[in-house]
Amino acid sequence: MTTEKIIYGMYDDEEVLKSAAKSLVSKGVKVSDVYSPFPIHGIDPIIGVRPTRLGDMAFIYGLFGMTMALIGMRYFMIIDWPMNIGGKPNFSLLENLPSFIPVTFEFTVLCACHGMAITYMFRNKTLPGMPATNPDPRTTDDKFVIELQTTDNGSFSADQLAEMLRETPVVEITEKVYTVQEEI
Amino acid sequence: MGQTKYFRGLDELHNTPQFQEAANNEFPKELTVDEFLGKANLNEASTSRRDFLKFLGFSVTAATVAACETPVIKSIPYVNKPEEITPGVANYYASTYYDGQDFANIMVKTREGRPIYIKGNKNFGITAGATGPRVNASVLGLYDSARLQSPIKAGKAATWKEVDAEIAAKLEQAKGKGKIRILTSTVISPSLQTAINGLVAKFNTGEGTSAHITADAYSYSAIRKANEKTFGVGLIPTYNFGAAKTIVGIGADFMGSWLMYNEYVSAYAKNRKADSDMSRHFQYESLMTVTGASADVRIATKPSEEGQVALAIYNHLAAKAGVSAAGVVSNDILTKTKKAAEELWATKGSSLVVAGSNNLHVQLVVNHINQLLGNYGTTIDLSKPVNLFNGNDEAAYKLVEEMKAGEVSALIVYGLNPAYHFFNAADFKAGLAKVGLKISLADFKDETASLCDYVCPDNHFLESWNDFMPKAGEYALAQPTISRLFNTRQAGQSFLVWSGDSRNYLDLIKETAQANVFPKVGGMAFGDFWNNSLHNGAVSFADAQASPAFVGSEADLNLASTVIEKSAKNVSGTFEVLLYNSTAIGVGNQANNPWLQELPDPITKITWDNYLTVSPVDAQALGFNTYIGEDNPASVAEISINGKTMKLPVYVLPGQKAGTMAVALGYGRGENGEEIGKAAFQTGTYGGYLTDDNGKKQAIGVNVFPLAKLTEGCVAYSVEGVQVKNTGETFALACTQTQHTVMGRDSIVRETTLGTYRKGNREDFNPVHAIAYHEGGESIKKPVDEIDLWGEHPVENIGHRWGMAIDLNSCHGCGACIIACHAENNVPVVGKDEIRRSRDMHWLRLDRYFSSAEEPKKLNGEDFSYDLMEIPEENPKVVFMPMMCQHCNHAPCETVCPVAATTHSNEGINQMTYNRCIGTRYCANNCPYKVRRFNWFNYQEYRKFTEVNPAQDDLGRMVLNPDVTVRARGVMEKCSLCVGRIQAGKLEAKKKGEPIQDGAIQTACAEACPTHAITFGDINDKGSVVAGLTKSNRAYRVIEEVGTQTNMYYMVKVRNNSEKEA
Amino acid sequence: MVKEAAIREPLILGNKSYGDITTDVITPIMNKAPKAWYVLISIAAIIAVWGLGCITYLIGTGIGTWGLNKTVGWAWDITNFVWWVGIGHAGTLISAVLLLFRQKWRMAINRSAEAMTIFAVMMAAVFPGIHMGRIWLAYFVFPVPNQFGSLWVNFNSPLLWDVFAISTYFSVSLVFWYIGLIPDFATIRDKVTDPVRKKIYSLLSFGWSGRAKHWNRFEEVSLVLAGMATPLVFSVHSIVSMDFATSVIPGWHTTIFPPYFVSGAVFSGFAMVQTLLLIMRKVMKLENYVTIKHIEYMNIVIIVTGSIVGVAYITELFISWYSGVEYESYAFINRFSGPYWWSYWSMMTCNVISPQLFWVKKWRRNLSFTFVMSIVVNIGMWFERFVIIVTSIHRDYLPSSWTMFYPTWVDIGVFVGTIGIFFTLFLLFARFFPVLALNEIKSILKSSGEEFKNKADNHHH
Repeated sequence: MTTEKIIYGMYDDEEVLKSAAKSLVSKGVKVSDVYSPFPIHGIDPIIGVRPTRLGDMAFIYGLFGMTMALIGMRYFMIIDWPMNIGGKPNFSLLENLPSFIPVTFEFTVLCACHGMAITYMFRNKTLPGMPATNPDPRTTDDKFVIELQTTDNGSFSADQLAEMLRETPVVEITEKVYTVQEEI
Repeated sequence: MGQTKYFRGLDELHNTPQFQEAANNEFPKELTVDEFLGKANLNEASTSRRDFLKFLGFSVTAATVAACETPVIKSIPYVNKPEEITPGVANYYASTYYDGQDFANIMVKTREGRPIYIKGNKNFGITAGATGPRVNASVLGLYDSARLQSPIKAGKAATWKEVDAEIAAKLEQAKGKGKIRILTSTVISPSLQTAINGLVAKFNTGEGTSAHITADAYSYSAIRKANEKTFGVGLIPTYNFGAAKTIVGIGADFMGSWLMYNEYVSAYAKNRKADSDMSRHFQYESLMTVTGASADVRIATKPSEEGQVALAIYNHLAAKAGVSAAGVVSNDILTKTKKAAEELWATKGSSLVVAGSNNLHVQLVVNHINQLLGNYGTTIDLSKPVNLFNGNDEAAYKLVEEMKAGEVSALIVYGLNPAYHFFNAADFKAGLAKVGLKISLADFKDETASLCDYVCPDNHFLESWNDFMPKAGEYALAQPTISRLFNTRQAGQSFLVWSGDSRNYLDLIKETAQANVFPKVGGMAFGDFWNNSLHNGAVSFADAQASPAFVGSEADLNLASTVIEKSAKNVSGTFEVLLYNSTAIGVGNQANNPWLQELPDPITKITWDNYLTVSPVDAQALGFNTYIGEDNPASVAEISINGKTMKLPVYVLPGQKAGTMAVALGYGRGENGEEIGKAAFQTGTYGGYLTDDNGKKQAIGVNVFPLAKLTEGCVAYSVEGVQVKNTGETFALACTQTQHTVMGRDSIVRETTLGTYRKGNREDFNPVHAIAYHEGGESIKKPVDEIDLWGEHPVENIGHRWGMAIDLNSCHGCGACIIACHAENNVPVVGKDEIRRSRDMHWLRLDRYFSSAEEPKKLNGEDFSYDLMEIPEENPKVVFMPMMCQHCNHAPCETVCPVAATTHSNEGINQMTYNRCIGTRYCANNCPYKVRRFNWFNYQEYRKFTEVNPAQDDLGRMVLNPDVTVRARGVMEKCSLCVGRIQAGKLEAKKKGEPIQDGAIQTACAEACPTHAITFGDINDKGSVVAGLTKSNRAYRVIEEVGTQTNMYYMVKVRNNSEKEA
Repeated sequence: MVKEAAIREPLILGNKSYGDITTDVITPIMNKAPKAWYVLISIAAIIAVWGLGCITYLIGTGIGTWGLNKTVGWAWDITNFVWWVGIGHAGTLISAVLLLFRQKWRMAINRSAEAMTIFAVMMAAVFPGIHMGRIWLAYFVFPVPNQFGSLWVNFNSPLLWDVFAISTYFSVSLVFWYIGLIPDFATIRDKVTDPVRKKIYSLLSFGWSGRAKHWNRFEEVSLVLAGMATPLVFSVHSIVSMDFATSVIPGWHTTIFPPYFVSGAVFSGFAMVQTLLLIMRKVMKLENYVTIKHIEYMNIVIIVTGSIVGVAYITELFISWYSGVEYESYAFINRFSGPYWWSYWSMMTCNVISPQLFWVKKWRRNLSFTFVMSIVVNIGMWFERFVIIVTSIHRDYLPSSWTMFYPTWVDIGVFVGTIGIFFTLFLLFARFFPVLALNEIKSILKSSGEEFKNKADNHHH
């Protein structure tokens, strides 16, 4: 049973925060997370956030949609109950394809968008009824916060980390103490 | 040795008294019902008043509760099935229609004992299967809830017993007091005549004390009078339009209303086929009629000029025949008639001249013309006189005078509605008030009946036995196709009863047949004869009548000519008004029939009203509104002649002779709110009746009978010196077609002249639509139906391919097909307001196109104006085009339906799946022919249609065809090619195990067409008539260039004209 | 960080800090709404209720309560449908296409434009629904397994394509919009004090905390959604236009419809955005964010699309004559000289002539003039749809069936009603939702904010 600490350093400008993060990282500190009211461009590489793969997911969802659409329409119009509708040819998927293009496209987009959006929600754990986890309400307004966790920074003590933060143009520092059960 | 005794129980052994009793009552005697319910038992019943009330209370509550759920309707099967009725299979009975004006030999279709459909009897009788719309629609009248349901005494329902007793008594009293009169329409039933004669004889106490007087709602007495003079016999001959090579009609609408038009029209059409030798038809008329529309040459003439036209023709012919001319005629008319006369003379002996005027002198001249042409015995058969229209106008007039003078003590009216039909109806009513005993046999409380002391309702003709002698040597029978719906009694029977004749009317009919008809037919036992005639509905037999010799005199002719010359002068500033019979309403006997009210007039396409037709010239002068549309009501004119004034909406009719106007008779029924039927009055936009200030229901249209007058013993239906003025008011007319011309679109309607057609070069009269097409590098012209974007579904030579060929040459626009379609397919009636909003539901419509002077310019590629093209020429040519679903093989409607509710059957039918339809109306928008009809409302429930739609009352619903779905609100519907009949036909053939015979299956419209303009069949059946027709030179598809590949073909209209006339 | 060229006008006026932006946007939500808002919404609500009444009567009684007839099967219903869908195009176009083009000026307007899109598409969706004869069977248009055996829908029908297009477009726009809203809801959540509202907004904000990783995903998702929404925008109105283009009716059967409809849609969409923004920036005092520059940019879009539409009209006329097809040529002669000439010419004036006035810089920067024009344009676009639909079918192939169309009070009531519903929804949005995309505006403050631009300028000397 050990006590661990989270140290928040708050800044009032994203540029300042960025440089601070740089210096910290250069000192070998692991910046656990950053909270900001809007995306800070260029922060990800500094604190080592890997680019998301949601885009690729969207593509896969799209492919799925397209296949479903084509298979479905082939089944409805050609296999299950082929009918003579205005003399239009429905002897094979290919012959009937022109009339299937619009729906295929729409269904592709439908699946891609919704698939991706849902994945996004789940990966973020931003879902209805989820509690907010930002350390300070001002982070959604005009303040920017660096989060340092002692668990991520075994090589530094909490005080050292706080000290390093103080060296940067930080506005205020808060510490949060919590205990973790170590399973023996 | 003792013997063993076997016993059943100790009782028997000891033989106790209880046992003996029990043994005697081994089979206890049951109580009879009366004993059981006998007063004694009731009294000792334990149910007290209290209990009863308790149960009552309970059951009422229970019922109320139960009513909250959808009621369960149990259908009970026949306990023992009538031998001839098989549920789901229709029975046909031969019968006869006669209402005092129209006569037709008919077949009545019944389902489970309900007559639901009437068609012509093709095999027997004089009308050869031809029926007008009125005959087809008459079946609906059977189910009119306003029909009298029992005898009426002083306005209250009574029993036959008391009514008969009182009438008998009162007639006895009336006997002494004064004259007893029986007023009927022309009676062509020998049995009915016998019955009436019996009654007359019974009360005849001396010369003229009791008499039978006949009068016709619309009189043709002049013809009889003229023949009286020229042949010594007052007969109406049989006209044989089929044998005439040249026909000249002088104001005679012999295809739409004149005499036995439905007999003439089929004969006429036979003789108008472009491929056999085609007759020539000249028509002189003021009003544009269907006859004028079909004519090769139509010359607009005033009614007052008709006499002169006749004279002119006579004089032309006289010159050729070397006989002295009669009277002098204006050069204008002489030139107008020159060509007609020449051609008549050229086809001497096989020509025919008829006149519509009910004027003795005109008819007289016409007789002389036909005599001069030697048409008697060829196209006019005097040996087969017609028994219809035997009315005597003078006698009727005299009767009214007698009544006014109070000389008539008893009047019995049957088959006629004098208080409405008489031009002197006002006098009649005044006189009627003075008549002691007034009896009507009308089946409605009509204008006359509502003034009578006793109304003894006649059966509907579909509930009646009857016999008819329409012509010499022609016998027809009517038989009941349903048992009486109400407590009514056949008129013939009533007459028998009142004359104290104990016979049953049916027996009388049989006796008459046995006495008068059977001997002339013979060849079998009477029983067989009777059954045969009943089965066939009609019998023809040789009834040799010597055709009278011509005894016409110069004197009469000269007298006639002088009278005619006098009539020539016309007061300027006034107009001549012609009173005519409209195709739908006729003399108004069925004014309460919504099918007929909603049937568009063939020419004007107006429904639910009569109106004043005015020539464009006069309309401009008087400032009448010339365009009638949803939001463009008609101007209202006020016409006045010797004291009588009437207000009528105006329809500006191309082809109407300037200076003349016309109004249809038969409207304005129930002006005083008489109970003549649910649909007989004007209804409002949200349902309910329109009422005047004193809450009286407003009649549909105006009664113009009072405008007629008696001249020289005949009722004249053309009135001169009428003052007309524009009231500035407007009145909405409901018109199904607001556009007059076809805008020079020759791929819709194709018309040519016999001259051009006979040359045989299809390109001249029926060019194939070809479009530039690239094949093997170079551009070639290819017919549209050979060009296809995709590999299409096979239709040619695979299975059936149902289709039609419609001959524009034969269609004369009568509208019988529309009514037949109405009846067959349960097409809803929607009423005037909906029609005005162009929401007519007719699956089959008759498009009428007037020719425009501007169209030729367009077709010849000259400069033209579309605005001018919308205006018909002064005396336009008219084309009728039956238009229903074209059953396209590449149907635009099918492609666009999101739910596949309309698809193509592999038999070429464009089929509609009602329960799948969600009502987007996309199909209707995308239909190039605009034949799809949408259920805008719930026509079976919504209050707006309660008055007009028969399907809204339990009785009216009985006319619905159980084989065809009644469509729900919000559903699209359209012509199904009578798919029900097709399926039935296929089953029949299947049961027989043979292929379907061509013609075995008929659609309602094809069946109803009196001129066989519509041919239905299997186009894939190479041998079929329709297949042949579609191959013919005249066959084309409407707007073929759109590429819809329809299964409906139309045949180019051919007029018997040379190029220059066309 | 990238600095914007100094000559570009600033898109955010006044010396704003991040905090100011937040307060500016959130104050109206936290404080009591201005009187004007109450006045507007009560008017809108009354009209909305009236409209709902008309719809109820329509569904209860039948389509016959409209002025349609056997020849004119569609009139105001589909006219309104296409009109609303068209309007519904601006939002997604602004946020998606302009995002792809990195047009920063979109940021002030895209939130409300998207809201407008959502509501407009909702209104549009009303009409295909209620125009059905049997709306209670509307589910027939979806390929759902059913008890009638294997009875499926007809994928050849443009109307069915519509079903897919509209539903996709609507749901995707909705998602796109909401994903953008989540961080801003979080901002409000952290600002508001009243517990009830805090509860509601924290519910709406899905527990957003603004972590770096989330922002990283957020930007990716917005980009991809934008990328997919763009072709969607174009596809939707193309497909709507195919309802007509694939038919056989002269005046409908026209190959230029897809581009013509899309540009028309953008045209009317931007006009509607103008109408709404000009009201909103006054009522909500957002002059500093929705600047004259924004208005001008949109007016320029209106000129461009308006001109495209104009060209389309002329092309149609020319082709109808050049084709030599008599029905085709008559259809167009009838349009400008027939009984409905007035609708054609009002369309021409409103859509072709009026936008050209924006060539004058003074006028296109004039707010009241812009406001009037924005309304004129939408009137014109309504007439365009009316002209296309009614004047084409009221006189098509067979003259025997030529009729006129006259609207009934129900036709009018339903249309006006949807406008009422639309404004009600929009006013509610303006009251309770962040009308500006806070996070986006903040992210461009430094590049396009007035204060920072000035700073930059000083640097140069």
